[in-house]
Amino acid sequence: MKRLAILIVALVVPAFRPAPADAPKRIVSLIPAVTEMIFAMHEDSRLVGVSNYDRFPPGVEKIDRVGGLLDPNVEKILSLKPDLVIVYATQQELQTRLERAKIPFYSYEHRGLPDITQTVRAVGARIGSTAAANRLADQMDANLDAIRRSTAALPKPKTMVVFGREPGSLRHVNASGGYGFLHDMLVIAGGVDVFDAVKKQSVDASNEMILVRAPEVIIELRYGEPMKAADIEREIRVWDALPSVPAVRAHRVYILTGDEFVVPGPRIVEATRRFAETLHPKTR
Amino acid sequence: MIRRRLAIVVAGFGSFLLLVCALAPLAGSTHVSLTRAFDRSIPFADNVDAQIFFIARLPRVIGAALVGAGLATAGVVFQALLRNPLAAPETLGVSYGASVGAMIAITLLPGTSIAGISTVPLAAFAGSLGALAIVYALSRARSRGMSSTVLLLGGVVLTTFLGAIVNFIQYLADFTQTFRTVRWLMGSLDVGSYGPIVAALVPLALAGVGYATLPRTLDLVTLGPDAASARGVDVARAERLALVSASLSTGAAVSLGGPIGFVGIVVPHLVRMMVGTDHRLVLPGAALFGAAFLIACDLGARTAFAPVELPVGIVTAIIGGPVFLWLLLRRVR
Amino acid sequence: MLQAANVWFSYVASGFSRTRAGPPDGGRHVLSDVSLSVSRGAIVGLLGPNGSGKTTLLRLMSGTLTPDTGTVTLEGRSVGSFSRLDIARRIAVVAQETHSTFDFTALEIVMMGRYPHLGAFELEGPDDLRIARDSLAATGTAAFEPRPFATLSGGEKQRVVIASALAQASEILLLDEPTASLDLGYQFDIIDLLARLNRDRGTTMVVSTHDLNLAASLCSELVLLRRGQVLASGPTADVLTHANMRALYGVDADVSINPRTHRLTVVPVGRAR
Repeated sequence: MKRLAILIVALVVPAFRPAPADAPKRIVSLIPAVTEMIFAMHEDSRLVGVSNYDRFPPGVEKIDRVGGLLDPNVEKILSLKPDLVIVYATQQELQTRLERAKIPFYSYEHRGLPDITQTVRAVGARIGSTAAANRLADQMDANLDAIRRSTAALPKPKTMVVFGREPGSLRHVNASGGYGFLHDMLVIAGGVDVFDAVKKQSVDASNEMILVRAPEVIIELRYGEPMKAADIEREIRVWDALPSVPAVRAHRVYILTGDEFVVPGPRIVEATRRFAETLHPKTR
Repeated sequence: MIRRRLAIVVAGFGSFLLLVCALAPLAGSTHVSLTRAFDRSIPFADNVDAQIFFIARLPRVIGAALVGAGLATAGVVFQALLRNPLAAPETLGVSYGASVGAMIAITLLPGTSIAGISTVPLAAFAGSLGALAIVYALSRARSRGMSSTVLLLGGVVLTTFLGAIVNFIQYLADFTQTFRTVRWLMGSLDVGSYGPIVAALVPLALAGVGYATLPRTLDLVTLGPDAASARGVDVARAERLALVSASLSTGAAVSLGGPIGFVGIVVPHLVRMMVGTDHRLVLPGAALFGAAFLIACDLGARTAFAPVELPVGIVTAIIGGPVFLWLLLRRVR
Repeated sequence: MLQAANVWFSYVASGFSRTRAGPPDGGRHVLSDVSLSVSRGAIVGLLGPNGSGKTTLLRLMSGTLTPDTGTVTLEGRSVGSFSRLDIARRIAVVAQETHSTFDFTALEIVMMGRYPHLGAFELEGPDDLRIARDSLAATGTAAFEPRPFATLSGGEKQRVVIASALAQASEILLLDEPTASLDLGYQFDIIDLLARLNRDRGTTMVVSTHDLNLAASLCSELVLLRRGQVLASGPTADVLTHANMRALYGVDADVSINPRTHRLTVVPVGRAR
């Protein structure tokens, strides 16, 4: 209880502390994960533009949209007169335009799970909100650690995390490989990645590969529109095409919906927790 | 003479294909025990070897054979129809039409299926028919037989137009749909079940019927419409039959395996190098050799960098590209 | 036997449907009101400058093109009413140029001439091979049998194409400038060949040519075409006159009987003023 109180005070008080004078006041963020980080640091009042794909938290609805990874609307961005734009490392052209317009930018690249909290700290420093950022990052680290500890002693099932395939069939199955934040989440949640040895973020898993690796649990991630229960059931049944897979035989094929799984921001903690609950159903 | 040569071609290429068909399902990144796979006493649901053999590998080999035969024969026919040895199933935009159809299904109709078959291959096939219809309409503009120049230009325009549609659809799509589209465009023979194979057999069979009467006629068509007509060929009719058959073949192949390049352009040339230019030998030869070729390429795709599998289109490009370049240089010399 | 009556033709498609009642409007006519009659066993020559419509007329007579108005008939029946195969069995065409996209051998090119005589799934038999070889021999190209057609010289190709037409074993032969790219010696050979064919097999021929002396020595009748219209037609001796050469080509030509061959020869002397 005391810890909760301290936590509340620690989170609320900084909201009233003014940002340093030279901190950016008009921030455009093209990256949903970073937008969520900024919201979590309570600095969202300084956001004047977000990407088209931002959906969380609800407060983001009223902020202007400026495009996405492939199609940033440079005119719109410039018209908002930002003093900091948060861009993807690959958006070279946008960066050049911003340089020419003498608008500072912060370049973001997404990798593994540890990089998420590092990014929180770095973004916080960049926008002049170091204390809030560090608190947020510490909290995220602590929560992830707690999950890791809670699953440490439990048996670790061989798991395949699927983040894409042809609906209705098992063609073009995209599984998470032994690298990247989905893999890290799985490890923290107490699972063994069947593709641990393949050091890529994504693996095209053919039928043969799935049969040979014989995962004990299959977690399919779906995002976008919420799915009806009947549809979820139907998509799980699709895996019956490979009856020898242990996950199929033990009815341990799960479909998890929600975009917190693919936005590597503060909600990744919640996503990891859901992984843990799915892998170890008796844990609460 | 021709009779004997035909027998030799069919026997030769046919046995090669049979050999490849027999070996391919046995090879892979994992060792499969045939005795276990065929052991009836083990329930199928428990028999991993059987599942690998019958679900993962066998449909893949059959699919590769059909796609390879479909693309190779279409390549032969398009090269004769357009009187251009550089023509391919992609040239007239038919395979591009299939890609557009697939993209529309992936982006706008995700997760739907008709009669148990995902809409993606069905839409791909519909797209190829759409492209065929446009090219066909172009060809009818001249009743004396298609000018191959008009057809080629029409194909270029169609491809450009379809390219714009592709960009537009990608613009509308979200990240996952774009990713799925990109994966589809790389081609994959991991069919996993026999339904899509049976579905593809229908247009392939129709194409086969169309091909049956074509070979000798194609020989004459390559001399030019006047020379062919003077020797008794109903050029307009022959060209229409060739266009429709080759498009059906291409559409079926692309809906089954995605757009796999180089098979349709390189296999016809390789076969001609081995059997000469008589289409009565080249067409059946291309069907058999194309099937074997793609089975072999797919085998390479799934074993070369095990456990990772390459998209088969990359393997056909790696093999086909240099071969094609070499063929080009030979011609120029 | 083969007849063109009042034929008009234009390559430019008119914007509206053509009526059968009269000549269509619009577009330059390649042929205007051309009539020509070829009797069985005759060798008719088509003479005229480039662009006079000789090739077009031949294509109309073989049924490859359809006239805008007028008719082309074979033994009274319109050529368009025959199937392509029927026509090919009765009329063979030697075009001015033949391109082979792929590497067919000379023998294969000639064997294609057997196409109209084979069924849909029938393969060539020993008889077809014999006919093809005889045709190659007749044009002096037997040695080229295994060689790729595309590697032959212009004249050699032309002789192989003639052989291919011979292999069709048709009663009518239409030839478009058959001696155009041939060496002098081979020109004589072809003229002899055609004369022999006509004599021994009774093959009816229509030969379009620039070669006035070929026309003079080979053809029994001539049709002079100028700018798509018939300038004159009739027996060779009547048509091949100094005045006609002047009108047709704008040349001053000496037309006389050669003392050795006893045939008409035409020697262009200079430009006509």
